[in-house]
Amino acid sequence: MSNDHHHPPAPMVEEVSDFEVLEMAVRELAIEKGLFSADDHRRWTEYVHTLGPLPAARLVAKAWLDPEYKKLAVRDGVKASLDVGVDWINSPPTGFGTPSDYCNLRVLEDTPTVKHVVVCTLCSCYPRPILGQSPEWYRTPNYRRRLVRWPRQVLAEFGLQLDPDIEIRVADSNQKTRYIVLPVRPEGTDGWSEDQLAEIVTRDCLIGVAMPRPGITANAQRPVRPAVRPVHHDH
Amino acid sequence: MSKVEHDLTHHAKKATGIGDPQCFRGEAGPAKFKVGDRVRVRNLPDLFYTRSQVYTRGAVGTVTEAVYESPAAEDEAWDNTDKPEWFYSIVFRQKELWPDYPDLYANDTVETELSERWLEPA
Repeated sequence: MSNDHHHPPAPMVEEVSDFEVLEMAVRELAIEKGLFSADDHRRWTEYVHTLGPLPAARLVAKAWLDPEYKKLAVRDGVKASLDVGVDWINSPPTGFGTPSDYCNLRVLEDTPTVKHVVVCTLCSCYPRPILGQSPEWYRTPNYRRRLVRWPRQVLAEFGLQLDPDIEIRVADSNQKTRYIVLPVRPEGTDGWSEDQLAEIVTRDCLIGVAMPRPGITANAQRPVRPAVRPVHHDH
Repeated sequence: MSKVEHDLTHHAKKATGIGDPQCFRGEAGPAKFKVGDRVRVRNLPDLFYTRSQVYTRGAVGTVTEAVYESPAAEDEAWDNTDKPEWFYSIVFRQKELWPDYPDLYANDTVETELSERWLEPA
């Protein structure tokens, strides 16, 4: 092993927030108390990192193509999730969801006159079994406290400016229901297959801060803010 | 007296294979409110824990669904799961929550859930 490029000892991560320290402390206490084991925690963490928004995009595409399936999705989101490979109740390692992922999914159906958008004003409640981990901005106090009070302005910051005649309905998921948005199928998608339709249903469309459009298959880039107290490396 | 022996896995035993809040189905008795009822959110004390947002207190909204039965968050936070109650989805006009919300956007609404103890007929 060559020694010509020497690194002084440096932290592995840039910054550990107060909340991360709190999480570690609570996690270690819970393990000591026997609520779960370190191995349970590892299995759970590995499981949540396998999750993403693709099943929810598939659910929306299927609902656009099949009116009967759409009715089922709106009536019983947990049951409709089974058809896109998500079993809210049995597949998580715990077998019953977790205290932060309750098993009650509601699919909010947009119409040409009603646009839904999802927030958790309390913390970061998010339908993780079907959408994966929430984006960083979804958890920020900025988004959480402003979306319920100034939804139009916040949506405009995401590039979505809506006509005053359209009702914006903010869904605040502060109890045990988790929400995804079923947007209106956009024009210019006639004759598309389920695969093609699923491609334009991005995570942002499922949260409700964007509307699907032909040709747009990725979330808009959000600004990345630098750390307040970054760690300086001297090399 | 506090419980002498407490089974830390009681929730897992109750919910595994059934789900939460599904595992509390049928435990709350008849629902006090029905779809379309106008309700006012009570301004109850929340000294220790609540999930009922302050911005809804005192506001009048409309019940859109009796969604599920569950212990209220204020109880469940202390592991008191003996008395589940009905949870309702309530839709509020933005104007009702924020009096200076622009009239131009009078159609805008917020929908959120509250447990039965927080609601009174309006």
